[in-house]
Amino acid sequence: MASMFPIVFILVIVLGLMACGYLFVPKGPQQTTIRTSIMLTLACCYLMWMITYMAQLHPLIVPIKSALEI
Amino acid sequence: MGDEYPSMFRSEQMSLVQLYIPTEVAHDTVAELGELGNVQFKDLNPTVNPFQRSFVGEIRRFEDMARRVRFFVSQIEKEKDVVPIRPLYDSAPLITVGPSAAHTIDELDVLLAEHETRLLQMNESYKLLSERTKELIEARYVLRETAGFFAKAETQQPDIRTSFDDSSAPLLQHDDRENQYSSTVQFDLEFVAGTIDRARIPTFERVLWRVLRGNLYMNHTDIVEPFVDPTTGSETRKNVFIIFAHGDALLAKIRKVAESMGATLYPIDANADKRSDSLREVTARLEDLQTILYNTGANRRTELVTVGQNLARWQDVVRKEKVIYETMNLFNYDVRRKTLVAEGWCPTRDIARIQVALGHATEESGTGVVPILHELSTNKTPPTFNRTNKFTEGFQSIMDSYGIATYQEVNPGLFAIITFPFLFAVMFGDIGHGLIILFAALYMIMNERKWAKGGLGEIVGIFFFGRYIILLMGMFSVYTGLMYNDIFSKSLHIWHSGWYFPESNGTVLHGVSNGHVYLFGLDPAWHGVDNALVFTNSYKMKMAIVLGVIHMTFALCLQLPNHIKFKRPLDIYANFIPQMIFLQSIFGYLVICILYKWTIDWGKASTAPPSLLNMLIAMFLSPGSVDSKSQLYPGQGFVQVVLLLLAVICIPWMLCMKPYFLWKDMQKIQGQGYVGLDHDGPRESSDEVMEIEEEGNGRVIVEEMEEEHHDFGEVVIHQIIHTIEFCLGCISHTASYLRLWALSLAHAQLSEVLWDMTLGGVLGMEGIFGFIVIALTIVLWFTLTVGVLCLMEGLSAFLHALRLHWVEANSKHYEGGGYAFTPLSFAKLDDKE
Repeated sequence: MASMFPIVFILVIVLGLMACGYLFVPKGPQQTTIRTSIMLTLACCYLMWMITYMAQLHPLIVPIKSALEI
Repeated sequence: MGDEYPSMFRSEQMSLVQLYIPTEVAHDTVAELGELGNVQFKDLNPTVNPFQRSFVGEIRRFEDMARRVRFFVSQIEKEKDVVPIRPLYDSAPLITVGPSAAHTIDELDVLLAEHETRLLQMNESYKLLSERTKELIEARYVLRETAGFFAKAETQQPDIRTSFDDSSAPLLQHDDRENQYSSTVQFDLEFVAGTIDRARIPTFERVLWRVLRGNLYMNHTDIVEPFVDPTTGSETRKNVFIIFAHGDALLAKIRKVAESMGATLYPIDANADKRSDSLREVTARLEDLQTILYNTGANRRTELVTVGQNLARWQDVVRKEKVIYETMNLFNYDVRRKTLVAEGWCPTRDIARIQVALGHATEESGTGVVPILHELSTNKTPPTFNRTNKFTEGFQSIMDSYGIATYQEVNPGLFAIITFPFLFAVMFGDIGHGLIILFAALYMIMNERKWAKGGLGEIVGIFFFGRYIILLMGMFSVYTGLMYNDIFSKSLHIWHSGWYFPESNGTVLHGVSNGHVYLFGLDPAWHGVDNALVFTNSYKMKMAIVLGVIHMTFALCLQLPNHIKFKRPLDIYANFIPQMIFLQSIFGYLVICILYKWTIDWGKASTAPPSLLNMLIAMFLSPGSVDSKSQLYPGQGFVQVVLLLLAVICIPWMLCMKPYFLWKDMQKIQGQGYVGLDHDGPRESSDEVMEIEEEGNGRVIVEEMEEEHHDFGEVVIHQIIHTIEFCLGCISHTASYLRLWALSLAHAQLSEVLWDMTLGGVLGMEGIFGFIVIALTIVLWFTLTVGVLCLMEGLSAFLHALRLHWVEANSKHYEGGGYAFTPLSFAKLDDKE
């Protein structure tokens, strides 16, 4: 089940959202600011999610806990 | 150009404008422009002594008025009961423009002077009366206590006087009788009476004893109530003393000693009757004085209340007028034509608005003469101006603190709106703490309108100024908290976990993967296990490197628009491209390896997973030789050699290409026979526009032009420094991004420790006692969460995120050599105070 598919899938969605953001922000004094903010937010959030997901795809160690009653 | 919208990507385009203002309209024009807040005036009289400027007289007058206003403010502050000051938005404004302006100002001047004299007089008389009161109170005490002394002295006498205990009885009214009795008594001593500080009594006694060789009898009592000094509020405790001694010489000595020790002497009569008369008189005078004092106080208060009603608008008017005349001092006074010539910078977009304001000023003044504006073309560098609103001004100001952007270079403040809170959140990630700061920011934003009026105090004011930054920081922190799966050091279990723990006989449980990957964030199975830190450290460190290299690449790319706009194609080939290749061939390669290593299922791979750090070090120390048992992918040795060679080539590329081309340019210019200009003295040149319109009387002297130094040695040195800085910086900055890991680790550990040490030990307790203990511990836990984890860690993460932006990111593209646009603006005067 652990594959790269979700990563590519979400990437496509994020790119689509960024395109929407770029196209549909109305003209006005704040257009650049809003566009930049939307695109940067999408990029940062996707990056962090992607890194977190990829780090857990094929982990090199397993969680080990000592069976003491907490 | 007018209908294109301003953007934060670059600073606004500014123009140098010249204004011709007829003298009659001058004051009103400047007032109007000050309200608009769009023009920064240049000083056209830089060589003139401030005392010789044209409007010094008016400024002095307003300075006087300002002093009086400050005096009122200090008097109102000293009042114990608060005097209400009517706020500015509630007061009717004083009209200071237009034909009646001069009259209004004169009236104001007179009014302020009157109030001041009255207040000063009342203060004076209050002080005098207070002193008088104090003296009378002391005299009253002295009279009372000495009466006591005499009574005691007389009761100690032998039987003859026993029937006359009461010394104030009417029987003693007759002097002759008194003398008769007094002669039979040893009570024939003369005395000195007065008051002295309680602390000085022992010294006083000792000094007297020594001086008079014991030939005295002294008695003293405490005055119970302390004396309060009305101006300072300090209390002094005094004692009444009476000293009996024999002989004029001794008495004189006593008086001298008493005076030198700071005692106050009071004339007390030996006759009890006369004493009681004095007492009555003193009491009566005291009551009178108290009444007068009270009345004076009441009068003063009414005066101050009247002043308080108008104080805000007086302050406003005086400040504004002073600034207007100071600005007018910057203008060139063209006496022959009776006009003032002003020069200044303003955003090109706003010129139309300024024209409208000038027209408005003419209407207000009612003179019908219109000031004229026209644009000048110039080589001087305009100031940098970024139009911000209440949301963006916080972000722009934190980037401006590093340095004001060069005119029209790419503005890092635009991107900092998102990258700064994001990098903060990577270091702060916790859903609970993120929510706390989010709610704090929302609270400030909801009270925005009220709080913007002022009165916040310095520290709260700083937090209020950054409320939108804090809002975004909170929102991103909630997101990264979801990623790290950390809410107040606990984990959320929302989706399918990827691990299950099968039953085992031993004490150690090993997790087994069930094929799922936790969909959104860190798997909760890692929470609380023994090797949790091993996994999360590896994950966070790699994330820090990936995010860091991407952030630096982004910042490097911001160089491109700058080079294109300022028409420096050489910089693209000589700086940007080698820098990019150098960065990517080493650290971009590292990032790709990190990501690649994560995609491989090492359980099914043929080789063991290699250590990336060792791989990178080996790439430099033994390039080309990669052990096939620890390779990441086939062909790795060859690829790494190629990349290393690329990086190595970039260094001489960066060092030599730009100086070489600049040298070639210089040779070409010199070959054509041009000689360098002498740029020691100022060059006079009149602008073309001026020559067309005027006869050139109001000529503008162009100051020394800013020329690039075509000194080749400087260019080479600059390039060497630049290259070394970049190459070494690449390595050190990449490592510097590891603080993203370090701070988030520290935050998570602190959070866990706080929980374990407070609520962790207490949650199981039962009964009413347990309930109380748990409640108290919750309070403790919450206070420490807000104080240590949110405030302290928050400030720390803020600082580190800011440093990452200022040093690691800005050094890749920022020039920061501009100066800020400081327009004449009455609204901004408040901030300066």
